[in-house]
Amino acid sequence: MQRWMQEVVVHPGDIAEAVASPSAKKALGRAAIEDVILPSRSLEPADRVGIYQGMYLMRMEEALESDYPGLKHLLGGHAWSALVRGYVAAHPSVTYTLNRLGDHFSDFVAKWPGAKRPELCHDLARLELAMAEVFDAPQTEPLSDAEIAAVPPESWERARLAPIEAFRLLSFRYPVNAYLQSVRDEDHNHPDLKRKDTYIAIYRRDYSVWRHDLSQAAFDLLTDLVAGKPLGKAVAAALARGGKRAPTTDQLFRWFREWAAGGVFKSVRLR
Amino acid sequence: MGNRFQFPDLGVGVGLRTVHFGHILEKWPKVDWFEVISENFMDTEGRPLWVLDRVAERYPVVLHGVSMSIGSTDPLDRAYLKKLKALGKRVRAHWISDHLCWTGVAGRNVHDLLPMPYTEEALRHTAARVRQVSEILERPLVLENPSSYVEFKDSTMTEWDFLTRLAEESDCGLLLDVNNVYVSSFNHSFDPKEYVDGIPADRVVQYHLAGHTNKGTHIVDTHSDHAIQEVWDLYGRSCRRTGNVATLYEWDENIPEFEVLHAEALKAGAFREQAVLAAAR
Repeated sequence: MQRWMQEVVVHPGDIAEAVASPSAKKALGRAAIEDVILPSRSLEPADRVGIYQGMYLMRMEEALESDYPGLKHLLGGHAWSALVRGYVAAHPSVTYTLNRLGDHFSDFVAKWPGAKRPELCHDLARLELAMAEVFDAPQTEPLSDAEIAAVPPESWERARLAPIEAFRLLSFRYPVNAYLQSVRDEDHNHPDLKRKDTYIAIYRRDYSVWRHDLSQAAFDLLTDLVAGKPLGKAVAAALARGGKRAPTTDQLFRWFREWAAGGVFKSVRLR
Repeated sequence: MGNRFQFPDLGVGVGLRTVHFGHILEKWPKVDWFEVISENFMDTEGRPLWVLDRVAERYPVVLHGVSMSIGSTDPLDRAYLKKLKALGKRVRAHWISDHLCWTGVAGRNVHDLLPMPYTEEALRHTAARVRQVSEILERPLVLENPSSYVEFKDSTMTEWDFLTRLAEESDCGLLLDVNNVYVSSFNHSFDPKEYVDGIPADRVVQYHLAGHTNKGTHIVDTHSDHAIQEVWDLYGRSCRRTGNVATLYEWDENIPEFEVLHAEALKAGAFREQAVLAAAR
Protein backbone atom coordinates (compact mmCIF):
# COMPACT_ATOMS: atom_id res chain seq x y z
CA MET A 1 0.00 0.00 0.00
CA GLN A 2 2.77 2.49 0.92
CA ARG A 3 4.68 1.79 -2.30
CA TRP A 4 1.50 2.36 -4.31
CA MET A 5 0.54 5.57 -2.53
CA GLN A 6 4.06 6.96 -2.92
CA GLU A 7 4.08 6.17 -6.64
CA VAL A 8 0.80 8.08 -7.03
CA VAL A 9 1.83 11.03 -4.86
CA VAL A 10 5.14 11.66 -6.65
CA HIS A 11 3.80 11.17 -10.18
CA PRO A 12 4.33 14.38 -12.20
CA GLY A 13 1.12 14.10 -14.23
CA ASP A 14 -2.46 14.68 -13.12
CA ILE A 15 -4.12 12.32 -10.66
CA ALA A 16 -5.79 10.22 -13.36
CA GLU A 17 -2.41 9.66 -15.04
CA ALA A 18 -0.81 8.96 -11.67
CA VAL A 19 -3.34 6.30 -10.72
CA ALA A 20 -3.10 4.73 -14.19
CA SER A 21 0.72 4.81 -14.34
CA PRO A 22 2.47 1.44 -14.77
CA SER A 23 4.46 1.91 -11.54
CA ALA A 24 1.29 2.56 -9.52
CA LYS A 25 -0.52 -0.35 -11.12
CA LYS A 26 2.42 -2.65 -10.48
CA ALA A 27 2.50 -1.63 -6.79
CA LEU A 28 -1.24 -2.17 -6.35
CA GLY A 29 -1.36 -5.56 -8.06
CA ARG A 30 -4.83 -6.65 -9.11
CA ALA A 31 -6.64 -4.28 -6.78
CA ALA A 32 -8.36 -1.07 -7.88
CA ILE A 33 -8.07 2.22 -6.01
CA GLU A 34 -11.60 1.71 -4.69
CA ASP A 35 -10.35 -1.46 -3.00
CA VAL A 36 -7.86 0.58 -1.00
CA ILE A 37 -9.29 4.07 -0.42
CA LEU A 38 -12.81 4.93 0.70
CA PRO A 39 -14.74 7.80 -0.87
CA SER A 40 -15.78 10.72 1.33
CA ARG A 41 -19.21 12.37 1.20
CA SER A 42 -17.91 14.71 -1.53
CA LEU A 43 -14.72 13.21 -2.99
CA GLU A 44 -13.95 10.03 -4.89
CA PRO A 45 -10.95 7.94 -3.78
CA ALA A 46 -8.71 9.32 -6.54
CA ASP A 47 -9.61 12.92 -5.64
CA ARG A 48 -8.67 12.24 -2.04
CA VAL A 49 -5.23 10.85 -2.92
CA GLY A 50 -4.94 13.73 -5.39
CA ILE A 51 -4.84 16.17 -2.45
CA TYR A 52 -1.52 14.66 -1.38
CA GLN A 53 -0.27 14.51 -4.97
CA GLY A 54 -1.04 18.20 -5.55
CA MET A 55 0.74 19.22 -2.39
CA TYR A 56 3.87 17.21 -3.22
CA LEU A 57 5.03 19.31 -6.16
CA MET A 58 4.04 22.53 -4.41
CA ARG A 59 6.20 21.58 -1.46
CA MET A 60 9.15 20.66 -3.70
CA GLU A 61 8.82 23.99 -5.53
CA GLU A 62 8.73 25.92 -2.26
CA ALA A 63 11.75 24.07 -0.91
CA LEU A 64 13.83 24.74 -4.03
CA GLU A 65 12.60 28.30 -4.40
CA SER A 66 13.91 29.14 -0.95
CA ASP A 67 17.44 28.26 -2.12
CA TYR A 68 17.14 29.28 -5.81
CA PRO A 69 15.10 32.52 -5.99
CA GLY A 70 17.40 33.89 -8.69
CA LEU A 71 17.01 30.89 -10.97
CA LYS A 72 13.25 30.96 -10.57
CA HIS A 73 13.23 34.66 -11.46
CA LEU A 74 15.40 34.04 -14.52
CA LEU A 75 13.27 31.17 -15.82
CA GLY A 76 9.83 32.52 -14.96
CA GLY A 77 7.12 30.63 -13.08
CA HIS A 78 6.00 28.26 -15.82
CA ALA A 79 9.47 27.04 -16.79
CA TRP A 80 10.45 26.90 -13.11
CA SER A 81 7.56 24.54 -12.34
CA ALA A 82 8.49 22.34 -15.29
CA LEU A 83 12.12 22.29 -14.15
CA VAL A 84 11.20 21.28 -10.59
CA ARG A 85 8.84 18.59 -11.87
CA GLY A 86 11.60 17.10 -14.00
CA TYR A 87 14.22 17.48 -11.31
CA VAL A 88 12.39 15.78 -8.44
CA ALA A 89 11.43 12.94 -10.79
CA ALA A 90 15.14 12.42 -11.55
CA HIS A 91 16.47 13.28 -8.07
CA PRO A 92 13.79 12.68 -5.44
CA SER A 93 14.56 13.46 -1.83
CA VAL A 94 16.24 10.54 -0.11
CA THR A 95 17.01 12.12 3.24
CA TYR A 96 15.06 13.43 6.21
CA THR A 97 15.93 17.03 5.37
CA LEU A 98 14.86 19.17 2.44
CA ASN A 99 18.14 21.07 2.78
CA ARG A 100 19.79 18.46 0.56
CA LEU A 101 17.06 18.41 -2.10
CA GLY A 102 18.94 20.81 -4.39
CA ASP A 103 22.30 19.06 -4.28
CA HIS A 104 22.09 18.02 -7.96
CA PHE A 105 20.08 21.00 -9.15
CA SER A 106 22.86 22.96 -10.86
CA ASP A 107 24.09 19.93 -12.82
CA PHE A 108 20.53 19.04 -13.75
CA VAL A 109 19.65 22.49 -15.07
CA ALA A 110 22.83 22.55 -17.18
CA LYS A 111 21.44 19.62 -19.18
CA TRP A 112 17.75 20.43 -18.91
CA PRO A 113 16.24 20.79 -22.40
CA GLY A 114 13.83 23.49 -21.18
CA ALA A 115 16.61 25.94 -20.31
CA LYS A 116 17.02 28.49 -23.10
CA ARG A 117 20.45 29.49 -21.80
CA PRO A 118 21.77 26.41 -19.99
CA GLU A 119 25.24 27.82 -19.25
CA LEU A 120 23.74 30.91 -17.65
CA CYS A 121 21.25 28.81 -15.65
CA HIS A 122 24.08 26.54 -14.57
CA ASP A 123 26.18 29.47 -13.34
CA LEU A 124 23.28 30.98 -11.41
CA ALA A 125 22.34 27.65 -9.83
CA ARG A 126 25.97 27.03 -8.84
CA LEU A 127 26.07 30.42 -7.14
CA GLU A 128 22.86 29.78 -5.22
CA LEU A 129 23.91 26.24 -4.26
CA ALA A 130 27.21 27.58 -2.91
CA MET A 131 25.34 30.19 -0.85
CA ALA A 132 23.11 27.49 0.64
CA GLU A 133 26.15 25.35 1.46
CA VAL A 134 27.93 28.26 3.10
CA PHE A 135 24.81 29.12 5.10
CA ASP A 136 24.73 25.64 6.69
CA ALA A 137 28.46 24.79 6.74
CA PRO A 138 30.21 23.79 9.97
CA GLN A 139 31.22 26.71 12.14
CA THR A 140 34.97 27.26 12.36
CA GLU A 141 36.50 30.21 14.14
CA PRO A 142 38.49 32.53 11.86
CA LEU A 143 42.02 33.62 12.63
CA SER A 144 42.01 36.29 15.31
CA ASP A 145 43.97 39.54 15.09
CA ALA A 146 46.24 38.19 17.82
CA GLU A 147 46.95 35.00 15.86
CA ILE A 148 47.78 37.03 12.76
CA ALA A 149 49.97 39.42 14.77
CA ALA A 150 51.82 36.46 16.30
CA VAL A 151 53.25 35.44 12.92
CA PRO A 152 56.76 36.93 12.64
CA PRO A 153 56.96 39.21 9.56
CA GLU A 154 59.78 37.17 8.06
CA SER A 155 57.67 33.99 8.30
CA TRP A 156 54.74 35.15 6.17
CA GLU A 157 56.49 34.09 3.00
CA ARG A 158 56.21 30.42 3.99
CA ALA A 159 52.83 30.73 5.67
CA ARG A 160 50.17 28.31 4.46
CA LEU A 161 46.62 29.43 5.10
CA ALA A 162 43.48 27.28 5.40
CA PRO A 163 40.02 28.71 4.76
CA ILE A 164 37.09 28.37 7.14
CA GLU A 165 34.58 25.62 6.31
CA ALA A 166 31.95 28.17 5.32
CA PHE A 167 33.89 29.40 2.29
CA ARG A 168 33.50 28.87 -1.45
CA LEU A 169 35.42 30.29 -4.38
CA LEU A 170 33.73 30.28 -7.78
CA SER A 171 34.22 31.51 -11.31
CA PHE A 172 31.37 32.10 -13.77
CA ARG A 173 30.82 32.74 -17.45
CA TYR A 174 28.14 35.34 -16.76
CA PRO A 175 27.66 38.17 -14.22
CA VAL A 176 25.28 36.09 -12.12
CA ASN A 177 26.17 37.64 -8.79
CA ALA A 178 25.10 41.08 -9.99
CA TYR A 179 21.94 39.55 -11.42
CA LEU A 180 21.10 37.77 -8.17
CA GLN A 181 21.66 40.96 -6.21
CA SER A 182 19.21 42.82 -8.46
CA VAL A 183 16.63 40.07 -7.84
CA ARG A 184 17.14 40.21 -4.09
CA ASP A 185 16.88 44.00 -4.15
CA GLU A 186 13.72 43.75 -6.29
CA ASP A 187 15.52 46.08 -8.69
CA HIS A 188 13.98 45.66 -12.11
CA ASN A 189 17.06 47.12 -13.84
CA HIS A 190 18.78 43.77 -14.06
CA PRO A 191 22.34 43.77 -15.38
CA ASP A 192 22.97 42.78 -18.95
CA LEU A 193 23.46 39.03 -18.96
CA LYS A 194 26.04 38.97 -21.76
CA ARG A 195 28.93 36.56 -21.62
CA LYS A 196 31.51 37.89 -19.15
CA ASP A 197 33.93 36.05 -16.87
CA THR A 198 33.26 36.87 -13.22
CA TYR A 199 34.73 35.66 -9.93
CA ILE A 200 33.43 35.55 -6.42
CA ALA A 201 34.27 34.49 -2.87
CA ILE A 202 31.37 33.46 -0.63
CA TYR A 203 31.89 33.14 3.09
CA ARG A 204 30.03 33.31 6.35
CA ARG A 205 30.93 35.83 9.01
CA ASP A 206 28.96 36.40 12.20
CA TYR A 207 26.35 33.96 10.85
CA SER A 208 25.65 36.06 7.74
CA VAL A 209 26.60 34.98 4.21
CA TRP A 210 28.77 37.47 2.32
CA ARG A 211 29.50 37.56 -1.39
CA HIS A 212 32.64 39.34 -2.48
CA ASP A 213 33.32 40.06 -6.17
CA LEU A 214 36.91 39.43 -7.15
CA SER A 215 39.17 40.34 -10.04
CA GLN A 216 40.69 37.43 -11.89
CA ALA A 217 44.08 38.16 -10.30
CA ALA A 218 42.57 38.15 -6.82
CA PHE A 219 40.66 34.95 -7.62
CA ASP A 220 43.84 33.24 -8.83
CA LEU A 221 45.75 34.30 -5.73
CA LEU A 222 43.00 33.13 -3.41
CA THR A 223 42.73 29.84 -5.32
CA ASP A 224 46.44 29.22 -4.73
CA LEU A 225 46.17 30.13 -1.06
CA VAL A 226 43.21 27.88 -0.27
CA ALA A 227 44.96 25.08 -2.17
CA GLY A 228 47.74 25.34 0.45
CA LYS A 229 50.42 27.13 -1.54
CA PRO A 230 52.78 29.18 0.71
CA LEU A 231 51.94 32.89 0.67
CA GLY A 232 55.30 33.86 -0.86
CA LYS A 233 54.92 31.43 -3.76
CA ALA A 234 51.29 32.40 -4.30
CA VAL A 235 52.23 36.09 -4.47
CA ALA A 236 55.12 35.37 -6.82
CA ALA A 237 52.79 33.39 -9.07
CA ALA A 238 50.27 36.23 -9.07
CA LEU A 239 52.92 38.74 -10.09
CA ALA A 240 54.29 36.44 -12.80
CA ARG A 241 50.83 35.63 -14.17
CA GLY A 242 49.56 39.14 -14.42
CA GLY A 243 51.12 40.54 -17.60
CA LYS A 244 50.21 44.18 -17.99
CA ARG A 245 47.24 43.70 -15.62
CA ALA A 246 49.52 42.34 -12.92
CA PRO A 247 48.55 43.43 -9.42
CA THR A 248 51.00 45.56 -7.52
CA THR A 249 52.55 44.20 -4.35
CA ASP A 250 50.51 46.77 -2.41
CA GLN A 251 47.31 45.47 -3.99
CA LEU A 252 48.19 41.89 -3.14
CA PHE A 253 48.78 42.70 0.49
CA ARG A 254 45.63 44.83 0.69
CA TRP A 255 43.61 41.88 -0.62
CA PHE A 256 45.25 39.57 1.83
CA ARG A 257 44.50 41.92 4.75
CA GLU A 258 40.86 42.23 3.61
CA TRP A 259 40.42 38.47 3.42
CA ALA A 260 42.07 37.89 6.77
CA ALA A 261 40.03 40.66 8.43
CA GLY A 262 36.89 39.28 6.77
CA GLY A 263 37.40 35.98 8.55
CA VAL A 264 38.16 33.89 5.46
CA PHE A 265 41.06 31.96 7.04
CA LYS A 266 40.86 29.65 10.01
CA SER A 267 44.52 28.77 10.46
CA VAL A 268 48.05 29.61 9.44
CA ARG A 269 50.77 27.02 9.31
CA LEU A 270 54.45 27.95 9.07
CA ARG A 271 55.92 24.58 8.15
CA MET B 1 -4.09 16.28 36.98
CA GLY B 2 -0.71 15.73 35.35
CA ASN B 3 0.43 13.32 32.69
CA ARG B 4 1.85 9.94 33.61
CA PHE B 5 5.32 10.91 32.33
CA GLN B 6 5.63 13.85 34.72
CA PHE B 7 6.38 16.10 31.76
CA PRO B 8 5.81 19.66 32.98
CA ASP B 9 3.01 21.97 31.94
CA LEU B 10 5.20 24.49 30.11
CA GLY B 11 2.33 26.94 29.63
CA VAL B 12 1.53 28.29 26.17
CA GLY B 13 4.21 28.57 23.53
CA VAL B 14 4.75 29.26 19.86
CA GLY B 15 6.80 27.72 17.07
CA LEU B 16 10.26 29.16 16.49
CA ARG B 17 10.22 30.35 12.88
CA THR B 18 12.95 32.05 10.82
CA VAL B 19 10.88 35.15 10.08
CA HIS B 20 10.68 35.89 13.80
CA PHE B 21 14.38 35.39 14.63
CA GLY B 22 15.14 39.13 14.56
CA HIS B 23 12.17 40.04 16.75
CA ILE B 24 12.91 37.34 19.31
CA LEU B 25 16.60 38.21 19.59
CA GLU B 26 15.80 41.88 19.99
CA LYS B 27 12.74 41.77 22.27
CA TRP B 28 13.04 38.46 24.11
CA PRO B 29 9.23 38.30 24.29
CA LYS B 30 7.39 36.90 27.31
CA VAL B 31 6.59 33.54 25.75
CA ASP B 32 6.39 30.49 27.99
CA TRP B 33 8.27 28.15 25.64
CA PHE B 34 9.23 27.45 22.02
CA GLU B 35 8.71 24.40 19.83
CA VAL B 36 11.21 23.89 17.02
CA ILE B 37 11.02 21.74 13.90
CA SER B 38 13.87 19.32 14.62
CA GLU B 39 14.98 18.78 11.01
CA ASN B 40 15.53 22.52 10.48
CA PHE B 41 18.35 22.48 13.00
CA MET B 42 19.94 19.06 12.60
CA ASP B 43 22.14 19.71 9.56
CA THR B 44 23.25 23.25 9.99
CA GLU B 45 25.87 25.05 12.00
CA GLY B 46 24.73 28.39 10.63
CA ARG B 47 22.46 31.09 11.95
CA PRO B 48 19.44 28.86 12.73
CA LEU B 49 21.41 26.75 15.21
CA TRP B 50 23.07 29.82 16.69
CA VAL B 51 19.64 31.39 17.25
CA LEU B 52 18.28 28.16 18.71
CA ASP B 53 21.17 28.01 21.18
CA ARG B 54 20.39 31.55 22.33
CA VAL B 55 16.68 30.76 22.63
CA ALA B 56 17.37 27.55 24.56
CA GLU B 57 19.42 29.54 27.07
CA ARG B 58 16.34 31.58 27.97
CA TYR B 59 13.25 29.49 27.24
CA PRO B 60 12.11 25.90 27.58
CA VAL B 61 12.34 24.13 24.21
CA VAL B 62 10.54 21.12 22.76
CA LEU B 63 11.62 19.32 19.56
CA HIS B 64 8.92 18.50 17.03
CA GLY B 65 9.91 16.41 14.02
CA VAL B 66 8.37 15.73 10.63
CA SER B 67 10.62 12.99 9.20
CA MET B 68 10.80 10.14 11.72
CA SER B 69 8.37 8.18 9.52
CA ILE B 70 7.33 5.98 12.42
CA GLY B 71 4.68 4.19 10.36
CA SER B 72 6.87 3.41 7.35
CA THR B 73 7.72 -0.11 6.29
CA ASP B 74 11.31 1.07 5.69
CA PRO B 75 13.83 0.44 8.50
CA LEU B 76 14.22 3.20 11.07
CA ASP B 77 16.86 5.76 10.11
CA ARG B 78 19.33 5.34 12.95
CA ALA B 79 21.61 8.14 11.76
CA TYR B 80 18.63 10.49 11.91
CA LEU B 81 17.71 9.31 15.40
CA LYS B 82 21.27 9.78 16.59
CA LYS B 83 21.31 13.37 15.39
CA LEU B 84 17.86 13.97 16.88
CA LYS B 85 19.00 12.68 20.24
CA ALA B 86 22.08 14.91 20.14
CA LEU B 87 20.00 17.98 19.30
CA GLY B 88 17.59 17.17 22.13
CA LYS B 89 20.51 17.01 24.53
CA ARG B 90 22.04 20.20 23.17
CA VAL B 91 18.92 22.32 23.73
CA ARG B 92 17.76 20.40 26.84
CA ALA B 93 14.48 19.58 25.09
CA HIS B 94 11.69 18.76 27.52
CA TRP B 95 10.41 16.13 25.11
CA ILE B 96 10.69 15.04 21.49
CA SER B 97 7.63 14.55 19.32
CA ASP B 98 6.75 13.47 15.80
CA HIS B 99 3.64 12.33 13.94
CA LEU B 100 1.66 9.14 13.56
CA CYS B 101 2.39 8.81 9.84
CA TRP B 102 4.90 7.68 7.28
CA THR B 103 6.87 10.06 5.06
CA GLY B 104 8.29 7.73 2.45
CA VAL B 105 9.27 4.22 1.52
CA ALA B 106 11.98 2.48 -0.53
CA GLY B 107 14.52 5.04 0.64
CA ARG B 108 12.57 8.08 -0.52
CA ASN B 109 11.07 10.93 1.45
CA VAL B 110 8.07 12.81 0.05
CA HIS B 111 8.15 15.20 3.04
CA ASP B 112 4.48 14.83 3.80
CA LEU B 113 2.67 13.28 6.74
CA LEU B 114 1.10 10.38 4.91
CA PRO B 115 -1.73 8.45 6.59
CA MET B 116 -1.76 4.86 7.73
CA PRO B 117 -4.44 2.20 7.72
CA TYR B 118 -5.61 1.54 11.26
CA THR B 119 -5.23 -2.24 11.42
CA GLU B 120 -3.89 -4.73 13.95
CA GLU B 121 -0.87 -5.32 11.72
CA ALA B 122 -0.09 -1.59 11.51
CA LEU B 123 -0.54 -1.29 15.26
CA ARG B 124 1.95 -4.08 16.03
CA HIS B 125 4.43 -2.68 13.49
CA THR B 126 4.22 0.89 14.76
CA ALA B 127 4.24 0.00 18.46
CA ALA B 128 7.45 -2.00 18.01
CA ARG B 129 9.08 0.95 16.25
CA VAL B 130 7.94 3.45 18.90
CA ARG B 131 9.51 1.27 21.59
CA GLN B 132 12.74 1.12 19.57
CA VAL B 133 12.81 4.88 19.10
CA SER B 134 12.14 5.54 22.79
CA GLU B 135 15.02 3.24 23.66
CA ILE B 136 17.37 5.00 21.26
CA LEU B 137 16.32 8.47 22.42
CA GLU B 138 16.37 7.32 26.04
CA ARG B 139 13.06 9.07 26.67
CA PRO B 140 9.43 8.36 25.83
CA LEU B 141 8.53 9.42 22.32
CA VAL B 142 5.53 11.74 21.97
CA LEU B 143 3.30 11.21 18.93
CA GLU B 144 0.87 13.65 17.32
CA ASN B 145 -2.39 12.72 15.63
CA PRO B 146 -2.11 13.80 11.96
CA SER B 147 -4.72 15.50 9.83
CA SER B 148 -5.62 13.30 6.88
CA TYR B 149 -7.44 13.35 3.57
CA VAL B 150 -7.93 9.65 2.88
CA GLU B 151 -9.37 6.69 4.78
CA PHE B 152 -8.29 3.13 4.08
CA LYS B 153 -10.79 0.43 3.40
CA ASP B 154 -8.68 -2.00 5.42
CA SER B 155 -8.92 0.03 8.63
CA THR B 156 -10.57 -1.94 11.43
CA MET B 157 -10.56 0.74 14.15
CA THR B 158 -10.91 4.48 14.53
CA GLU B 159 -7.88 6.72 14.66
CA TRP B 160 -8.46 7.51 18.33
CA ASP B 161 -8.71 3.82 19.21
CA PHE B 162 -5.51 3.18 17.25
CA LEU B 163 -3.70 6.03 19.03
CA THR B 164 -4.95 4.88 22.42
CA ARG B 165 -3.80 1.32 21.91
CA LEU B 166 -0.52 2.45 20.37
CA ALA B 167 0.19 4.72 23.32
CA GLU B 168 -0.59 1.97 25.80
CA GLU B 169 1.30 -0.78 23.99
CA SER B 170 4.40 1.31 23.34
CA ASP B 171 4.14 3.58 26.41
CA CYS B 172 4.42 6.78 24.43
CA GLY B 173 3.01 10.22 25.14
CA LEU B 174 0.48 12.00 22.94
CA LEU B 175 0.50 15.41 21.37
CA LEU B 176 -3.16 16.10 20.71
CA ASP B 177 -3.64 18.49 17.80
CA VAL B 178 -7.24 19.57 18.17
CA ASN B 179 -7.19 21.34 14.81
CA ASN B 180 -6.12 18.07 13.19
CA VAL B 181 -8.98 16.31 14.95
CA TYR B 182 -11.38 18.89 13.54
CA VAL B 183 -9.87 18.72 10.03
CA SER B 184 -10.02 14.93 9.89
CA SER B 185 -13.54 14.87 11.37
CA PHE B 186 -14.72 17.09 8.52
CA ASN B 187 -12.86 15.06 5.90
CA HIS B 188 -13.99 11.67 7.23
CA SER B 189 -17.38 12.56 8.73
CA PHE B 190 -16.85 11.56 12.34
CA ASP B 191 -17.72 13.35 15.57
CA PRO B 192 -14.61 15.24 16.82
CA LYS B 193 -15.98 15.28 20.36
CA GLU B 194 -15.98 11.49 20.39
CA TYR B 195 -12.31 11.61 19.31
CA VAL B 196 -11.06 13.94 22.07
CA ASP B 197 -13.20 12.11 24.67
CA GLY B 198 -11.66 8.82 23.59
CA ILE B 199 -8.02 9.80 24.05
CA PRO B 200 -6.37 8.67 27.32
CA ALA B 201 -6.11 11.97 29.23
CA ASP B 202 -3.07 10.98 31.28
CA ARG B 203 -1.00 10.42 28.14
CA VAL B 204 -1.61 13.89 26.67
CA VAL B 205 1.55 15.91 27.27
CA GLN B 206 0.97 18.67 24.73
CA TYR B 207 -1.69 20.34 22.61
CA HIS B 208 -1.42 21.92 19.19
CA LEU B 209 -3.78 24.63 17.96
CA ALA B 210 -3.80 26.09 14.44
CA GLY B 211 -5.90 27.48 11.63
CA HIS B 212 -6.86 25.62 8.47
CA THR B 213 -8.30 26.20 5.00
CA ASN B 214 -11.78 25.01 4.16
CA LYS B 215 -11.98 24.07 0.46
CA GLY B 216 -15.65 23.15 0.61
CA THR B 217 -15.23 19.51 -0.29
CA HIS B 218 -12.48 19.04 2.27
CA ILE B 219 -10.35 20.93 4.78
CA VAL B 220 -6.59 21.30 4.41
CA ASP B 221 -4.40 21.66 7.49
CA THR B 222 -2.52 24.77 6.35
CA HIS B 223 -1.57 26.42 9.66
CA SER B 224 -2.30 29.64 7.84
CA ASP B 225 -4.87 31.46 9.97
CA HIS B 226 -6.57 31.95 13.29
CA ALA B 227 -8.20 28.85 14.76
CA ILE B 228 -11.96 28.72 14.31
CA GLN B 229 -14.38 28.64 17.24
CA GLU B 230 -15.12 24.93 16.83
CA VAL B 231 -11.41 24.18 17.33
CA TRP B 232 -11.26 26.36 20.46
CA ASP B 233 -14.33 24.54 21.78
CA LEU B 234 -12.69 21.17 21.21
CA TYR B 235 -9.58 22.43 22.98
CA GLY B 236 -11.64 23.56 25.96
CA ARG B 237 -13.48 20.24 26.04
CA SER B 238 -10.23 18.29 26.05
CA CYS B 239 -8.60 20.57 28.67
CA ARG B 240 -11.47 19.80 31.02
CA ARG B 241 -10.34 16.15 30.85
CA THR B 242 -6.58 16.62 30.91
CA GLY B 243 -6.15 19.68 33.09
CA ASN B 244 -3.58 22.27 32.07
CA VAL B 245 -1.22 20.78 29.53
CA ALA B 246 1.54 22.54 27.56
CA THR B 247 -0.07 24.14 24.52
CA LEU B 248 1.40 25.50 21.34
CA TYR B 249 -0.08 27.67 18.60
CA GLU B 250 1.23 26.73 15.12
CA TRP B 251 1.37 29.18 12.24
CA ASP B 252 3.43 28.13 9.19
CA GLU B 253 1.88 29.78 6.13
CA ASN B 254 1.25 33.52 5.69
CA ILE B 255 3.09 33.85 8.99
CA PRO B 256 2.02 37.10 10.69
CA GLU B 257 3.98 39.50 12.89
CA PHE B 258 5.16 37.87 16.08
CA GLU B 259 2.65 39.84 18.19
CA VAL B 260 -0.29 38.35 16.24
CA LEU B 261 1.01 34.83 16.77
CA HIS B 262 1.74 35.55 20.40
CA ALA B 263 -1.80 36.88 20.89
CA GLU B 264 -3.18 33.51 19.74
CA ALA B 265 -0.97 31.77 22.27
CA LEU B 266 -2.17 34.11 25.02
CA LYS B 267 -5.74 33.41 23.97
CA ALA B 268 -5.02 29.71 24.44
CA GLY B 269 -3.70 30.48 27.92
CA ALA B 270 -6.91 32.22 28.94
CA PHE B 271 -9.02 29.53 27.29
CA ARG B 272 -7.43 26.61 29.09
CA GLU B 273 -7.60 28.35 32.47
CA GLN B 274 -11.35 28.86 32.00
CA ALA B 275 -11.83 25.28 30.87
CA VAL B 276 -9.96 23.83 33.82
CA LEU B 277 -11.79 26.10 36.28
CA ALA B 278 -15.12 25.05 34.77
CA ALA B 279 -14.16 21.40 35.18
CA ALA B 280 -13.27 21.97 38.83
CA ARG B 281 -16.68 23.50 39.69
